[in-house]
Amino acid sequence: MRTLPTGQYLPGHSFLHRLDARAKLLCLFLLMAAVIGAPSLWGYALVLAVVALLILLSGLPLRSAVAPVRGVYLFLLVIWLMNALFFDGEDVLFSWGIIQLTRGGMEQGFRVAANVVLVLILGNLLTMTTLPTQVAAALASLTKPLARVGVPTEEVGMIISVAIQFIPTLLEEAELIKMAQTARGARFESKKLVERATSLLPLVVPIFVSAFRRAEELALAMEARGYRYARNRTKRQANPLALADYLALAVCALICLAQFFVRR
Amino acid sequence: MEGENICYKYDDGGSFALQDVALRIKEGEFVAILGGNGSGKSTMVKHLNALLRLQYGELRVAQINVRNEEEIWRLRRLCGMVFQNPDHQFVSAVVEEDIAFGLENYEVPRDEIPARVRSALAMVEMDGGYEKRALHTLSGGQKQRIALAGVLALEPEIIIFDEATAMLDPGGRQEVVTIMHKLHRAGKTIIAITHYVEEAVAADQIILLHRGRILACGRPRAILTDRDLMRAAELIPPLPVRLYYDLQQAGVHLNRCPLTEEELVEAVCQLRSKI
Repeated sequence: MRTLPTGQYLPGHSFLHRLDARAKLLCLFLLMAAVIGAPSLWGYALVLAVVALLILLSGLPLRSAVAPVRGVYLFLLVIWLMNALFFDGEDVLFSWGIIQLTRGGMEQGFRVAANVVLVLILGNLLTMTTLPTQVAAALASLTKPLARVGVPTEEVGMIISVAIQFIPTLLEEAELIKMAQTARGARFESKKLVERATSLLPLVVPIFVSAFRRAEELALAMEARGYRYARNRTKRQANPLALADYLALAVCALICLAQFFVRR
Repeated sequence: MEGENICYKYDDGGSFALQDVALRIKEGEFVAILGGNGSGKSTMVKHLNALLRLQYGELRVAQINVRNEEEIWRLRRLCGMVFQNPDHQFVSAVVEEDIAFGLENYEVPRDEIPARVRSALAMVEMDGGYEKRALHTLSGGQKQRIALAGVLALEPEIIIFDEATAMLDPGGRQEVVTIMHKLHRAGKTIIAITHYVEEAVAADQIILLHRGRILACGRPRAILTDRDLMRAAELIPPLPVRLYYDLQQAGVHLNRCPLTEEELVEAVCQLRSKI
């Protein structure tokens, strides 16, 4: 069975796909704040409802949308247990030596695990509906005011964009090197974690060599087309945000405010 | 383009990658540069747009002294370069953004850019809906044509193809070669480095390099039909030339050494009519 992609952009025409990357990025920050600031179980229920609605609006299969959570369920369980058993609370349900199961601890464990789950899903929805280059461009655009205090935002945007471009080609290269080494008898499939980790070491050097070679070639190609660090370039005209972008931002801001307002 | 006594040594402490190279390329010429691996082909052309700085000798390209730091960016705009692997040249994931990269570097006004992108795409025969395409969805030949469009958008007078067909399948290679000839007919100076001797047949001039030195320089017929010269450069002559010599050895003499398949067919037909 084909593995469902995690975090990788899936082309589509859904509402989320059509939203401007800057608006999506800002919405992500607002919703993350809403998650972290959730005052009660009702607060979490509200964000969960929003996340469910976003999954529907993304047009992504449910399994793809929640895929990152499946990879960390053990981690979530450990977080919950640590909080439930070691949290200092008054409402003790059970105690044995230094371990004490408290209602407060269970609630705290739930909060931390829920924060991780919701933030993971929100981040996944962003990356699955937005091209990496659009995310990089949105970051560069949103950080533009920092240029006034000397932060090279244009250059940082270019570096992020080029780095993102390199990821798939490097993964492809790593796969080729792995196949070439498998053909010569290397084993990467051991069930023992230590053996598996050691077997990956011979891949590191060739991948680094390849990455440096590619970086050098790209630098030459960029220079040949007139790129100079820290020099003026024609600025791309950013498309103005559409009504849907403003609406999405307003809704997310309201949810965020509601969480903090209820807290008071 | 005129150069004398060009020598170049890389920092790795090895021998000279270029030794006493002299160049003379006329405006509008199609020049093929041939040579085995490590013969200095890429090193030589990277001097033409100052990607490598001249260490020894003299070189002027379009009246610009390549040593003149102030003129380097004008030189690079005049002298575009397409590299071997299209995937290693792209800075964006979308066709129009990548083509616009060079234009943005040269501060071409924003409202001129879309028209320049469209015109560059038309030159590489990829007009009609390719602007918004993701680069990873294109074939190897199409990607290389987009890389070429990125260079053409800057309206260079000289276009260097640094083994630009080496990583393409036969179909993709043909696409790029066809456009190369089209640009030559449109008056551009073309400098093509290639391992495929067949691509050099239609050139105005061939420069044959071996171990950093120019072994020979001249018309394709003079260079490609000289078996000893080709052997010295560690190259294999085109198929019609090899057949000519094989037939000669077998006692069959053709009128003249053919360079292309068409010439070979003609020569064989003439021979048959004599019989």
